[in-house]
Amino acid sequence: MGALPEVDTMSAAAERMVQPHASFEPVIKVEGVSRWFGNVVAVSEVSFDVRPGITGLLGPNGAGKTTLLRMMTGLAATSTGTVTVFGEPVRDNPPLYRRIGVMSEHETVYGFMNGREFVTMMGRLRGVSDLKNAVDRAIEFVDLADAQHRPMATYSRGMRQRMRLAATLVHDPEILVLDEPLNGADPRQRLHFKHLLETLADQGRTIVLSSHILEEVEELAETVLLIVNGKLAASGGFRAIRAALNQRPYHVRVVSDSPRELAAAVVTLGSVDAVHVDPDGALVVLSRNVLDLQIELPRLAQKHSIRLRKVEPLDDSLESVFGYLVEN
Amino acid sequence: MTRSRACSAISWRISVLSVYHLTLRQLSGRWRVVIMSVLSLMPVIIAMLMLRDNTAPSVQQFETTILSTMLAGSIAPLVVLAIAAAAFGDEVEDRTLANLTLTPIPRWKIALPKLLATISIAVPFIAMSALVTTHVAFLGEWRATIAVTIAAIAAVAMYASMFVWLGLVSGQAVGLGLLYIVLWEGFISGFIPGVRLLSIRHYAIALMNAIDDRRFATTDHLSPAVAVIMATLVIGGFLLLSIRRLRRMDVP
Repeated sequence: MGALPEVDTMSAAAERMVQPHASFEPVIKVEGVSRWFGNVVAVSEVSFDVRPGITGLLGPNGAGKTTLLRMMTGLAATSTGTVTVFGEPVRDNPPLYRRIGVMSEHETVYGFMNGREFVTMMGRLRGVSDLKNAVDRAIEFVDLADAQHRPMATYSRGMRQRMRLAATLVHDPEILVLDEPLNGADPRQRLHFKHLLETLADQGRTIVLSSHILEEVEELAETVLLIVNGKLAASGGFRAIRAALNQRPYHVRVVSDSPRELAAAVVTLGSVDAVHVDPDGALVVLSRNVLDLQIELPRLAQKHSIRLRKVEPLDDSLESVFGYLVEN
Repeated sequence: MTRSRACSAISWRISVLSVYHLTLRQLSGRWRVVIMSVLSLMPVIIAMLMLRDNTAPSVQQFETTILSTMLAGSIAPLVVLAIAAAAFGDEVEDRTLANLTLTPIPRWKIALPKLLATISIAVPFIAMSALVTTHVAFLGEWRATIAVTIAAIAAVAMYASMFVWLGLVSGQAVGLGLLYIVLWEGFISGFIPGVRLLSIRHYAIALMNAIDDRRFATTDHLSPAVAVIMATLVIGGFLLLSIRRLRRMDVP
């Protein structure tokens, strides 16, 4: 893989890409959409609008994100409800794909092709004029010019993802739909991919990306659609959702050399709802303001000369986070 | 750059040729070529053995054993099945079909080149097999050779259309195709006269008879007109079913 591009280099490439319209009208409308497979309901009565910018579709594995994205791109039919893109039904409407770029979570590449052949073929199938320059720009944008003539079977997962992004971008789509785009990427590749997506969003494109990782969506998306058990559990700005998360009750386990003395001190904090010492001798604290607890706990320990050995959240799993948001 | 400049009208030739070339590359894997080569050589070897053991085989012997049973009834469909079931089947299995369906080209421009690529790969093997077999058996008689070769090509086109569709609708296309070849074409259509009207093997044999009726005018074959109509219906019908399926299916 080539070196990460400088931001300036990426911007220069990005500038040569299309500047989509700056309208803030809904670009994608999902209205009362459900999908079931036999007796299993994958998506249930979901409605929302998507506008330009980055929208994150967040939810645990198996929540129905991929099914929803597949219906939003016309790959799958809805059981009930409608999906429209630019006011037109997306299903069985091939001309719309001039304006949409889709990257699925699966590594849908042809191993016998090299990267350039793949991007060229996708550009040709989408009717790109000035194909050579469009392919050059797309490959340059994902910083894979050095590897473009190598068979894709020899690429790392991150390189395949980026070459697929180049193929998704080659026709300059106004809408990008990316299913778990950072899945399996190493930290360096994730950083690079995030830079690319931010650059694309800055150009005014509509980007919908799915993820089951809260922090991933937090870093990228301005708007979040939270999907749990096939239902839209929450939607809106990420800050509101993060604020709700910060106010949820946390169980924190604290291992120290004097748990009972620490319990007596901690219970005086306004942010603590309850404390108890578990059979192992560790202190378990229930707090609704975990940020305050994070600040006050070390201070209290220092004040009472108590040594803290371990502080760990007990219910920080995705399921508990999503469960809390659904309840609230 | 504006949207209209970014995407021009897609020439049907460009999109059809792109899918055609892609499919050719997908289907010309080494193991498929080996299977097709071995299968295609079998009628030639058997014809040579027949010549060696006796004198030249009788027309009836040749037609029943080599042309009807082997070439049209098992070798051609098996060779075509090995290729055609993968034309869409492999794309569904490895989820690359979405690369094609998420493009602004009409679905017939995906289904037609897939079928044409399948036929393009299978025809050289089957046509050469038919040509050499007939040439050997009938000591170079050109009219019989042409009749058998054309009938074999028609059989390839019909089987290809059917099995390309089968690969699109079922994950068990090879198994179902084998059942069809053995039970329907190999067994039922050989014993129940009425079923011949619905047998690709018998359409191919009827076409062969039509081209060289002097040598192959035997038994109760279909009329040439019926065979041509049915062959057209099979090729066109399954192609339309493939296009319809592409429009309605959930693409993985």
